[in-house]
Amino acid sequence: MSVYAMVKEKSLTEAVKTALTRLLSQDLVDAVLVAAKSPYSALPMPTLVAEASAMDGIDPLAPAAPFNAARQAATVSRQATGKRLALVLRPCEIRALIELVKLNQCTLENVVIIGIECLGRMENEVFLNHAAVHADMAAEFQKNTSLQDDITRTCKMCEQFTPTHADIVMSTLGAPENAVLFASGTETGEALLKELGLPTAENPAGSETVTRQLLEKRAACKKEVFAETSEKINSIEKFEQMIATCLNCYNCRQACPVCYCRECVFLTDVFAARPEALLRRAQKRGAVKLPTDTTMFHLTRLSHIAHSCVGCGQCSSVCPSNIPVADIFTTVAAQVQARYDYVPGRDVGEPIPYLMFEEKQKSGESK
Amino acid sequence: MVKSMSDFQPKIIALVCNWCTYTAADLAGTSRLGYPANIRMVRMMCTGMIDPKYILKAFLDGADGVFIGGCHPGDCHYINGNLKFRKRMPGMETIIKQFGFDENRLRLRWIGASEGPEFQHHITDFIQTIQEMGPSPAQGLMVL
Repeated sequence: MSVYAMVKEKSLTEAVKTALTRLLSQDLVDAVLVAAKSPYSALPMPTLVAEASAMDGIDPLAPAAPFNAARQAATVSRQATGKRLALVLRPCEIRALIELVKLNQCTLENVVIIGIECLGRMENEVFLNHAAVHADMAAEFQKNTSLQDDITRTCKMCEQFTPTHADIVMSTLGAPENAVLFASGTETGEALLKELGLPTAENPAGSETVTRQLLEKRAACKKEVFAETSEKINSIEKFEQMIATCLNCYNCRQACPVCYCRECVFLTDVFAARPEALLRRAQKRGAVKLPTDTTMFHLTRLSHIAHSCVGCGQCSSVCPSNIPVADIFTTVAAQVQARYDYVPGRDVGEPIPYLMFEEKQKSGESK
Repeated sequence: MVKSMSDFQPKIIALVCNWCTYTAADLAGTSRLGYPANIRMVRMMCTGMIDPKYILKAFLDGADGVFIGGCHPGDCHYINGNLKFRKRMPGMETIIKQFGFDENRLRLRWIGASEGPEFQHHITDFIQTIQEMGPSPAQGLMVL
């Protein structure tokens, strides 16, 4: 049975701040990784806060996430330092972090995950335009449904907005105004919540209905996007039309939380075509577009990471040519993941399909 | 003999394991077991080293089919490389299928070093399958 606590303050952000500040001031953790705005912009960035007095800018409930913070979370938890860290992450960020743990990129030793029940994020530009009008975006986003319609296309189809693997789940769904509900997800979380000494509460009665309605809406959207995209990429010629404006900037790879190689093969000599090789290709085909291997890049990335794609949509957000990269990736990823009966971020003990093998392959997988 | 079926001559890339299928091909050769000359063989040290991008590269550069030949389970020179590749097959099939390539254009078969006749059989059979399917959808297409 989960332990529940509720914090009510002047504003939502203040309520979160109260809880996170206690984590630091009661020495329950040594630092908190949380989205915080800087004095220079309203856009919250992953920030490592080590002093309770430096909590001022935190804004984890603002509907913006310029990164999938799993990357930053993995940076601070690459090796166990003997210090205890709290990571405040969105569900897609937690799922990506779990994948990175499986890929030996970081460790969850001495890490407390505080998951946000997530209503979505906006594209940075959209967020900043709204933030210019509304001082408290976190609060405005909760009550203003027209703002909620401005979340990214990928967020609109996300069904996994409730965090998995979180020690503590932080939620506003069904909670009273200016209140944040904390629920324990693990024994660690339960102990921590008790030690924090926050006012205990019941799970709000309305939360299940709200969650179910949201889930239905998201599922319908997802079905639509998958059907539309699957049709748009069902031939290599159609796919070429979709990626025809790709600049080979590799931003999508950079933004992808599970594309973890330190040195990507597309930056190595494997794809550094020598002049004579390029000429040979041009002669063979009549013409060759430069830079080369655009299709190869996208399909290779798909075949390397589709099974671990957490559907965060960052690849679409960073594309300078507005290619719906995330539509393509989530559509293909859903099929690959179904084929392997694998869900990224579901369980830290569930091995990544490409990293294991069976003496006897399961039926449906054998050739 | 196969030529009479159609004028279409498929191009097939065969990625074969050095320790088994490649040796089987050698044996087929020395035993004078003939098969159509539609395959271009690439000798790999193990099917376990076949990165998905090798298969994609073949298809995007106009291969009509990709054949992969490895050691029988349990016979891998590196203990389990073939099993690791086998695990990648469903993912690859799913991906090429979504992008309009028939998943049967990719085939994995286990062919031991002593199985010259099996090599002949599998290659002939695959060429025939591809011939019936016709050219790859990427054939003649400008691939960016």
